[in-house]
Amino acid sequence: MIEQIVFVLLALWVIVPAVLAVTLKNVFHCALFLVLSLTGVAGLFAMLGADFLFVAQLLVYAGGITVLLLFVVLLSGSPKDWIIRQTNAQWSIGLLVAGMFVALLATVFKQLPPVPAVEPLSGATTARLGLALLGEWVFPFEALSLVLLAALVGAIHFSKRSKS
Amino acid sequence: MATLTGYLLVGALLMALGLYGALARRNLLGILIGIELMFNAANINFVAFNRFLYPGQSLGQVAAIFVMALAAAEAVVGLALVLTIYRSFRTVLTEHLNLLKG
Repeated sequence: MIEQIVFVLLALWVIVPAVLAVTLKNVFHCALFLVLSLTGVAGLFAMLGADFLFVAQLLVYAGGITVLLLFVVLLSGSPKDWIIRQTNAQWSIGLLVAGMFVALLATVFKQLPPVPAVEPLSGATTARLGLALLGEWVFPFEALSLVLLAALVGAIHFSKRSKS
Repeated sequence: MATLTGYLLVGALLMALGLYGALARRNLLGILIGIELMFNAANINFVAFNRFLYPGQSLGQVAAIFVMALAAAEAVVGLALVLTIYRSFRTVLTEHLNLLKG
């Protein structure tokens, strides 16, 4: 019973700030509501027993990515950008596409086969994750580190001032 | 409510909101916010399927970690591009970025 209440509260915590993050005019407020929504996603990870992902979500998303986003919001654009219209000419088609997407997935969810009863959570998952990352998934893991290095170098290259 | 369908529904709603944000915003930063929401919707689905269908394994959580790292790389490059675009065009609104329009 208490699990249901916590789940509904967390779902609202994820969805309501996400609605505000895609509809508000002021991009700075949008980014702040994005932080709130991502924190709710971290709560959902905790409810699903993914303790490592819970912390990683808070550190990487709610901490790192959104701070970067707030920096760029403040460095680009003038305050007058924050009061003008924020939707383009095709916003109604976008809304239609998003609504049809939800309707399609809802009909699929109705036909899902019953899920076997879940076992209770079994302690920390970090050791299992580390063994999987450096065992079976070591090549994708190393490729990912190369991708991150390339992103780092690329970001510096793009954002440095050209000499001309 | 706290069943697989519940989590999938939250993921679907978040994905649709991100899709709407990416399609309908005219501000580049708003589009990036929508894309971040879509990454998170995918992550919720990965972890929920892991928990409810394969509770003894951790493949879904490994996939979520990969998505998270790729999202970080995407955000860094995307934001660097937004800064460069702002520096050369003095705007972050998409309809003004029409250099290649004949």
